[in-house]
Amino acid sequence: MKIDSSIDYNETIKIIRKYPNEKKFTLAILQDIQKEYGFIPKEVMTKISDYLNIPLSDIYSMSTFYKALSLKEKGKYIIKVCNGTACHIRGSNSLIEELTDILNIAPEETTEDGLFSIEIVNCLGACALAPVMMVNGKYYGSMTKEKVKTVIDEYRGLEHEQ
Amino acid sequence: MKVKINGKLYNGNTGETLMELAKRNNIYIPNLCHKKGFEGQGRCRLCIVEINDGGKTKIVSSCVYPIKDGIEVSTNSDKIIKIRKNIILLLLLRTPNNDTIKSLAKEYNVDIHYKYLDNKKKENCILCGLCVEACDKLGTKAISLVNRGTTKKVSTPYDDASKDCIGCAACVEVCPTDAISIDDKNGKRTIWNRTFNLVSCSICGKYFTTYEALKYTDDKLNIEKENQICNSCKRKEISKKFKESFKNTY
Amino acid sequence: MNNSNRKILVCCGTGCLANNSFEVYTKLKEKLKDTKIAVQPLVKATGCNGLCEKGPVVKILPDDISYFKVSTKDVDAIVEKTILNGEIIDKLLYYDTNEKKKLISHKDATFYKHQQKISLRNIGEVDPLLIEDYLERDGYKALRKVLFEMTSEEIIDVIEASGLRGRGGAGFPTGSKWRTCYKYNNFPKYIVCNGDEGDPGAFMDRSIMEGDPNTVIEGMIICGYAIKSHKGYLYIRDEYELARKNMQIAIDNAKKHGYLGENIIGSNFDFDLEIVRGGGAFVCGESSALMASIEGNVGEPRAKYIRSVEKGLWNQPTILNNVETWANIPPIISNGAKWFKSIGIENNSGTKVFSLVGKVKNTGLVEVPMGTKLRELVFDIGGGIIKDRPFKAIQTGGPSGGCIPKEHLDISLDFDSLSNIGSMMGSGGVIVMDDTTCMVELARYYMEFLSEESCGKCTTCREGIKIMLEILTNITKGEGELEDIELLLDLSETISNASLCGLGKTAPNPVITTIKYFKDEYIDHIVNQKCNAGICKKLTSYYIEEEICIGCGLCAKKCPTNAITGIKKEPHIINADICVKCGACFTNCPTGAVKIGGVVVESKN
Repeated sequence: MKIDSSIDYNETIKIIRKYPNEKKFTLAILQDIQKEYGFIPKEVMTKISDYLNIPLSDIYSMSTFYKALSLKEKGKYIIKVCNGTACHIRGSNSLIEELTDILNIAPEETTEDGLFSIEIVNCLGACALAPVMMVNGKYYGSMTKEKVKTVIDEYRGLEHEQ
Repeated sequence: MKVKINGKLYNGNTGETLMELAKRNNIYIPNLCHKKGFEGQGRCRLCIVEINDGGKTKIVSSCVYPIKDGIEVSTNSDKIIKIRKNIILLLLLRTPNNDTIKSLAKEYNVDIHYKYLDNKKKENCILCGLCVEACDKLGTKAISLVNRGTTKKVSTPYDDASKDCIGCAACVEVCPTDAISIDDKNGKRTIWNRTFNLVSCSICGKYFTTYEALKYTDDKLNIEKENQICNSCKRKEISKKFKESFKNTY
Repeated sequence: MNNSNRKILVCCGTGCLANNSFEVYTKLKEKLKDTKIAVQPLVKATGCNGLCEKGPVVKILPDDISYFKVSTKDVDAIVEKTILNGEIIDKLLYYDTNEKKKLISHKDATFYKHQQKISLRNIGEVDPLLIEDYLERDGYKALRKVLFEMTSEEIIDVIEASGLRGRGGAGFPTGSKWRTCYKYNNFPKYIVCNGDEGDPGAFMDRSIMEGDPNTVIEGMIICGYAIKSHKGYLYIRDEYELARKNMQIAIDNAKKHGYLGENIIGSNFDFDLEIVRGGGAFVCGESSALMASIEGNVGEPRAKYIRSVEKGLWNQPTILNNVETWANIPPIISNGAKWFKSIGIENNSGTKVFSLVGKVKNTGLVEVPMGTKLRELVFDIGGGIIKDRPFKAIQTGGPSGGCIPKEHLDISLDFDSLSNIGSMMGSGGVIVMDDTTCMVELARYYMEFLSEESCGKCTTCREGIKIMLEILTNITKGEGELEDIELLLDLSETISNASLCGLGKTAPNPVITTIKYFKDEYIDHIVNQKCNAGICKKLTSYYIEEEICIGCGLCAKKCPTNAITGIKKEPHIINADICVKCGACFTNCPTGAVKIGGVVVESKN
């Protein structure tokens, strides 16, 4: 796991300064930070608070309210399993079971090697292809237990190549 | 503006909420998240009443409902009592051992021997939000509402000892259910995971507040350091100044 | 073969992209470059064609040939056979399960025949990134008309007379919303597009933003001009990356072409649009929470006794409509109120887009006139239930909606009829369920969903949903009592009456309607300790009916724990001690010999 000290704060400042220091940009800044680091580091939150002149407690409140933001560092590959109604009734639970089995972590956790995180999300808007999962933005439709393994192997393979 | 509450007519002012009108006329509507200075949260839902607006009846929460001319209000209809009992039940399920909620439950004859009641639960906070409002009004903003849904709670960022907290205990003061843990012992106060040194009164010698709170007030009021006098010695004066500081800042 | 006006349209909506349609698009372009054709046909990446399940979809115009489930391997054949020689590739044609035959043009398919497209009119036909495509199909004509020929009142009159009702859920009359906001002389005013589409099972808004972003922009500018607003916000879901990207490109292009920004096409009217990324909170579909989120706050709703048309964004008069509503505005202005009113039924004019998903054969986006019968939607357009299993119910309106049982299959799909039977239109998600969906578990699922998605502000919603979830979980585990049903209804009444916002007020609907229409399933779970759908594992067992089993051995082969034994061509047996109740035998049995039992294993052996 990366610790806060390894964060390049010049990058943070660059991201924050893209926006005028108005309250309405708080969420946008947080989302850009989330995208850059995969989570909202503690130190960065303080920097945003200083820049926008908004109490840290308010930024913390937002960061824990919106699901797009996370306080915990995520894995390199974020696997989002859709548990929207269409996916739910077409068996998304079995995908979740299979993933937790293969990766040996619970939903919302990250594997020890920092490669994979499992997230259960409410609807990815690809209901016609239910059940659906997504890895770093790429959709996988009409999933089955068997296909879960293939997809994970695919990403593990990518790691070996590098 | 004429508003009928429980059969009697009252004169209302434009922009006034139903709760304000009721309070002005000594009509009691139960509530937990409403306090002078912190109106209009609409969180606890206890203040629901039934209104009849031109033949249409609906249920509204009186603390946020702006009055309209000609409406008829019932604060205690059978329907309201039934729903209010359930709201108290929901609060009781959350905080089964809290005295305030327990006595409310008793007052409304809510059955406490209920199968989903977990008597081991230690929760006391009903998430009324008053502490957050008070901290905000003071300008310290050390605490906020954290998370969402059923995991919502009041806390400092990362549950850490907050650098913004001044240990003033205004949050404790406004809490309707005594949910905020505060520990004054041996000249020290522990609140929100942070320990402060307490200041003793130059008259009676009792510990009464934190240095940080005193300094904060003095700075806000822009006054030179005076003698440190405790609440019971100079309560009225200080509270007067506190109120002035609110007015000046906000 | 004349290739000068040939177009090859490749669907690049999210559904088709998931099946590698972009690779098909790229390969088609490359292949054509290498092919010696005097005039190159145009290859375009379009938005969603609706029938996502059969994607990637490739359409060839003007020949009107539609290919489905196209892979990169098919590209060579498409170019060599169809483009160069006019041959039709049989294996890529659509097989219509209703007509039981293959079709050359997708327009002849039962799935499309019953549809009438207004808000989806351009999707699948235009490249969403090219404003020229939109202009070619009469884009921004309605805007030109209002800017140079109409007054605010005239515009509002048309929208009001059209009878358009908000497509986001409650069905509030759009024209009257605009009129109220127009009357307030408090400036600035704001226009907001709700693109947060949180209802699980609905994806029409995503599809419109991805496939025809200009229509949303045009609708919003028209409203801005009508109510004298100069600034609009598009609040788009965090998960909808492609929608945000296409929308942003469309905004930039509209600015470049003078349709957005200062002095729009020389009319002296200024209007600007900004995209706000949603934070990932279902409650932000609620108007006051959405506005709180745009302002940079936590998305907690506020009491709405003062409506947002008077005090909305930053306490200024604000018009909020959802994506589909905005997409209806330009055609209404262009074709007139009378035209729109002639479609649909009384008090419910126009069309509605439904996303038909769940246990139905043809899943996808469907736009039909209001008043279309549910049966037509599920069985004609949807082609019926997967594997022809028995239809049990549909769920509309997401977590705020309700279930509709088969007794109501002939209901008219419109705002009023749906709410009359305890469900609601919502944003138009239609989730079809068969006999293998457990209604108690479904109610539990919605409460779980809402326990995470409630903002947690008010007692009734937060604590009420929590306890309802606990009760329902107990029932699905076989630990329920009959009086729990009454308790659920009692709590439902409190939550819907006393909650602060729309989310809380409608949260109990899935519980109320499942109890109303499927009480026997609740009783089965509580009294008989049995889940007939085989979903609640603690209340499920599987056994093989001796008389029906043909001894094919497929179940034994599929069983992950080797719990099934038997000799070929003789009835097989499931060993309950080893069975993990995965249901693989049940799903794979060709003769229906595997049966679902209750907590007590029913076996004849």
